[in-house]
Amino acid sequence: MADQTFRLPDLGEGLTEAQLVTWRVQEGGHVEVNEPLCDVETAKAVVVIPSPWVGTIQKLHARPGESVAVGSALVTIAAEGAPAAVEPRPAEGVEATPSTLVGYGAGAGPQAGSRRRARVAPSAQQAGGDVRAAPFVRQLAKEKGVDLARLTGSGPDGRITRADVEAAASGATAPTPAAATTSTDGERRISVVGIRKAIARQMVRSVSTIPQFTEFAVFDATNLLAARQRQKQSGRSLTPLPYFIVALVKAVRAFPLMNSSWDEARDEIVVKQAINLGIAVNTSQGLLVPVLRGADQLDLSAIADQSARLIEGARAGTLKPGEMSGGTITITNVGASGPVETGTPIISPPECCVVAFGAIKPRPMVIDGEVVARSGAWISISVDHRIVDGALATEFLTALVGELEHLHA
Amino acid sequence: MADVVQVVGTDDPVRPLFTAAGELKADARNGLGLDAAALRDLYQKMILIRRADQEALNLQRQGELGLWGQYLGQEAIHVGAVAALEANDWIFPSYREFGMAMCRGVDPAEMLTWFRGLSHGPWDPRKYAFAPLAVPVATQVPHAVGFAMGSRLRGSDDVVLGTFGDGATSKGDWHEAMNFAGVFKAPVILLCQNNHWAISVPLAKQTAGSIAERAPGYGFPGIRIDGNDVLGVFAAVRAAAERARRGDGPYLIEAMTYRMGAHTSSDDPTRYRLDSELQTWSAKDPIARYRSWLQGQGHLDDAAAAAIDRAAETMAEQMRSRLRAAVPAPAGEAIFDRVYERPPGPFIEEREEFEASLEGT
Repeated sequence: MADQTFRLPDLGEGLTEAQLVTWRVQEGGHVEVNEPLCDVETAKAVVVIPSPWVGTIQKLHARPGESVAVGSALVTIAAEGAPAAVEPRPAEGVEATPSTLVGYGAGAGPQAGSRRRARVAPSAQQAGGDVRAAPFVRQLAKEKGVDLARLTGSGPDGRITRADVEAAASGATAPTPAAATTSTDGERRISVVGIRKAIARQMVRSVSTIPQFTEFAVFDATNLLAARQRQKQSGRSLTPLPYFIVALVKAVRAFPLMNSSWDEARDEIVVKQAINLGIAVNTSQGLLVPVLRGADQLDLSAIADQSARLIEGARAGTLKPGEMSGGTITITNVGASGPVETGTPIISPPECCVVAFGAIKPRPMVIDGEVVARSGAWISISVDHRIVDGALATEFLTALVGELEHLHA
Repeated sequence: MADVVQVVGTDDPVRPLFTAAGELKADARNGLGLDAAALRDLYQKMILIRRADQEALNLQRQGELGLWGQYLGQEAIHVGAVAALEANDWIFPSYREFGMAMCRGVDPAEMLTWFRGLSHGPWDPRKYAFAPLAVPVATQVPHAVGFAMGSRLRGSDDVVLGTFGDGATSKGDWHEAMNFAGVFKAPVILLCQNNHWAISVPLAKQTAGSIAERAPGYGFPGIRIDGNDVLGVFAAVRAAAERARRGDGPYLIEAMTYRMGAHTSSDDPTRYRLDSELQTWSAKDPIARYRSWLQGQGHLDDAAAAAIDRAAETMAEQMRSRLRAAVPAPAGEAIFDRVYERPPGPFIEEREEFEASLEGT
């Protein structure tokens, strides 16, 4: 018996990280060779990693939802029949990273035949690729323990040159820690990976390419609540979401431009046939948007079933990538908790429209000249102004309010 | 599957063996001349190469291989085609023909060193009459045709099998090879493994017509057959090889199959194809079908099947342990070896700079 640590391999020709989706084993459990250890999601695919050894699981080094860098410890196994592994002794404050992409996964310890010393792990900034430097210079920086992200390049377009690295190395007495997260003035730096990075990219794309505006309305939810009550009496309790979706689908059918996208390459508007509704879900990993496909073909009950399954799957991290892509319009709920009434949602590119619903609660409304308490909620829509003008957005929002106020399912 | 246009004056010994739908006819199946041991051997080979495929994927997931391209579902073609050839008949594969190489006797553990990035060519092509894997799409097809033309010029009666996927048939190389094969009556069997997907491009977007029916345009016959029937593939390749050996020229076989796995270990087919399609083809799994036929014929009992499964496990364990003990990683500067016989100046400088960069490390 000897503890062996299995490090995350590069699963897809040049990947730098993967996100742990789920463990299929637990600490203390027994595992056979090739028995599934975990599912991880890379930029390319969700894959199952089989165990390289037979033995007892000593330690799981990552939690579901966490990003794991290629070469980092994934699982430690007390492997049966394995020779005592000599753990590589990394330099202080420096995590040893295997030097090749292949062959360090299992069984290739320090005896693997490399004539090089353990390398300094690249910093997050280097892994992110924002630094401009030739491979040769990167290699040199690694060897000398110079963090390229902290250098200002003197070459063309800010490229870091060999001279820059050598100058920095002669001044530096100790290697820079691998993932420096705290600087001397107390700032913290968090490396952005996985879902956070994907959200950031999508949001930047939205606000930098889509001229969008937002309109607000309040609707009277009396009929919606009555419909829910009738549904409850017939044996099924539904959340307001399926009702919102039913109303939204009807309004979108009347205003097909809301279900379209702007083709930037050809300056054309592409009106979609099917309504594939993205549902924004807050999860422990961040915001995910599973897609309810063909929402226009579904009745209330099917919408309730499928949206519940998608939301649950998003939270559990069990959805396939195909279930989180291909949306044509998005719905988000800003009133799930707390005092927030509404917001200005950001369009999920390349869609044209995003609709936000607030919480249904009693609020003062003027009916026949009298202020009365009625249940209601805010709705806001953000739309792509290249496709939709304010007048049309108002007509759509009016239609949506009308559908919501006249629900009788 | 429409009939191909008959090429006037061309003898076609393959077509009479098959129905119009590409299924091997019952009398042809019974007339193959394979005894029970030979029939079982085809089964054993399919089991072994499938197990090797799975083990290689596991090893890739464990960081032992850089890449793996599964041939899951295409075993009948790999086994049937190789069994139909003589040992001297050269095979020119693409990158998914690991199973064919195994059938030729190439050691699976050694072969994996290629996918581990340790070797440019882990086996001696001359020893196995098996050319190096070709990763660029369709480049092996002109090689196969040229080699076959060479065989004819030498007066040898060896024939050549060039194999490729449906995607390759869209490449210029493929058309050039087909044309040369026809004009020079090269003794070559052009075996298309039509697995319906070229990475994420479905067959319907690959070609608007039939691949097999293109052959008459180049002056030789072609046929579309069921590629998930090992005996059908065997019968077609053997008849086409005999024809080529007689000097009657090339033959195009379009073997219909399905890539049940991903394109490679870097690919996620769930992003572009439906589960239902995979279910449909799983029902036509070449191994399950052949096992049930063998059992029906009384050629495979449970004990024999279990022994074959055990042999597959042993082989997989050996692949694993021998790969890990395989040749050590070559030194980095080895990438400069074998590029030029007489390296030019800039290349030498590059090598020197690289070697200097390794100094003191």
